Amino acid sequence: MKKFLLLTALFGALFLSACKDEEEAKDPGTFAITFDNMALINNVQQQLSLTTAGNTDYPYTNEMGQQFNITLLRYYISAIELDGPNGEHFHDHMEATAAGAKGYYLVDESKPASQEILLTDVPAGTYNKITFTVGVDSSGIVDGAAGGNLDPATCNMFWNWNSGYIAVKFEGQSPVSNGGVGGTETIAGTDPNGMAYHVGGWKNIPGGVFVYNNKRLSYTFDTNAKVESKLEPELHMVFDVQKLFGGHHAIDFTGNHNVHKPADGVDVANNLEHAFAYDHIHQ
Amino acid sequence: MMNSRHAALEFIILCFNFFTMKNLLPFLLLALVFGGCQKDELPSAKYSFVKPAHFPEPVYPLDRNPVTKEGFELGKKIFGDPILSRDGSVACNNCHVKGVAFADPQHPFSIGVDEREGLRNAPGIANMAFMKEFMWDGGVHHLDFAPPNAIENPLEMDEKMTHVLWKMNQHGSYPALFRKAFPDMGDTITSPYLLFALSQYQNMLVSATSKYDHYKLGDANLTANELEGLALFEQKCAACHSGILFTNQEYRNNGLDSEFADLGRGKITESPDDMGCFKVPSLRNVELTKPYMHNARFKTLEEVLDHYASGVKPSATLADELQQNGTLGIPLTPTEKARIIDFLKTLTDHEFIQDTRF
Repeated sequence: MKKFLLLTALFGALFLSACKDEEEAKDPGTFAITFDNMALINNVQQQLSLTTAGNTDYPYTNEMGQQFNITLLRYYISAIELDGPNGEHFHDHMEATAAGAKGYYLVDESKPASQEILLTDVPAGTYNKITFTVGVDSSGIVDGAAGGNLDPATCNMFWNWNSGYIAVKFEGQSPVSNGGVGGTETIAGTDPNGMAYHVGGWKNIPGGVFVYNNKRLSYTFDTNAKVESKLEPELHMVFDVQKLFGGHHAIDFTGNHNVHKPADGVDVANNLEHAFAYDHIHQ
Repeated sequence: MMNSRHAALEFIILCFNFFTMKNLLPFLLLALVFGGCQKDELPSAKYSFVKPAHFPEPVYPLDRNPVTKEGFELGKKIFGDPILSRDGSVACNNCHVKGVAFADPQHPFSIGVDEREGLRNAPGIANMAFMKEFMWDGGVHHLDFAPPNAIENPLEMDEKMTHVLWKMNQHGSYPALFRKAFPDMGDTITSPYLLFALSQYQNMLVSATSKYDHYKLGDANLTANELEGLALFEQKCAACHSGILFTNQEYRNNGLDSEFADLGRGKITESPDDMGCFKVPSLRNVELTKPYMHNARFKTLEEVLDHYASGVKPSATLADELQQNGTLGIPLTPTEKARIIDFLKTLTDHEFIQDTRF
């Protein structure tokens, strides 16, 4: 018995000293990301205002000078990674089960809380780069149904007919669009000026025939973000809705304005890297 | 084994206690019979997914959604419940009827709510656990995601998944049944659990006990005609209807038309090479699943073979298998057609369609 107690004490001491060693390194902290959806008008970032079908105010303009408004804007952000100049690295935990989804964020312009993402357990250090996927890649769908942000019944981002998640869903109106959209949430087919851009396509098979429209995007920060347990760094990313329709390929609202399949969404998907941008960091 | 012996023993003791009579032999025999039955009816064996020895590994990730008795029975109840449809008139088994291997026995195109007619023939449901993709165009990559296509299609059930779940959450028995089947589920029934239950039921629908299976496993003989048909089938049909599932799980244009009213696989891949292509269907239980083809063009197997022999129409995407050596179709004499049909009928699985669990 005495021997046993001695051993326990010995191990206890070892364990404690191990803990002490670790305390020298700083504890992990949080890293907040805000996705500010906006429109850059006369070089001023304007907060978006969603409207409803039938409204004929068109506050926004695409690259072709065509006016539009917005009735719905929603996109998935997933597989977030952070990197730092000294080799710091953080990969957000991803999980897709019936009970819920982790690491899949559904940013919805009509839900302010959805625009704020809080990463936890980020190793202490400095970070100057973020990488994320716009959309849901195979890890979130290939094994079957999941809950939370991936719940196919409630996310309003799921294609039944070509099973997969829409990466970016935009609905709105333009005076130059001739309407007739289908499969929409906020705009009826009878709306004379309706537009729908449902951009999806997740089957990333090299050499395959499928159109892959999810985008893996990286942005570097002009200031380092410092992470440790007592700090609360907050990254502001912006999403300029006007650039969704330009930058890489100017989208013409008089033509392809009813997008519901991967091939039709390629041009909009290619604009995504221009629509997103690093803005600033609050330390 | 231990359980059934134990149960039999208990039964014998019971007999002694209740019937202190002279002639115990009948009861002892009865006990033996009961013990035997119980061995077969162990819940774990009866309601878990068992891969037939001569089948490939399942595609469905069964470790993510293992079949349980409660989950299977819940799935079966949902499969037969018109609560899935907008007006409570259409259940899955309206168009997927057990007696014909879960195909539609009556309608070339299935009938949805308000007598709306669908666009494609309802295929049978069997061996889903082994299938890589679903629907005639393969647009669904996982069994879990198949049911919403029927539930939310305006021509079928014309309902919204969220509304089905709302109805189920108000229901007298579903909440308790779901909690029993999925103990990890919270208070509310959500769509992944609904889809898991339906997948559990469908994954159990394994058809692997046809006459051909028994032949394959050495338990039965085929007749001379059937064997002749098998040889012809392997020579002329098995390039596409290959393997133990009788499908290569690929997509082909089998020459029904030169112009396509339905783009089929082309709608999914958006590739010009896939226009007018459809999934090569399994031929298991094909005797029962008439009419045939995605558009229900043919009423009998004879018509199907007539098509392959002399009805194939050319087009840019016509299957290579149907234009060998510069000739359209598959050369077949009337006798060869008859023998192939003799063989196809050995794929009818009477044990499957009579299985009381389903």
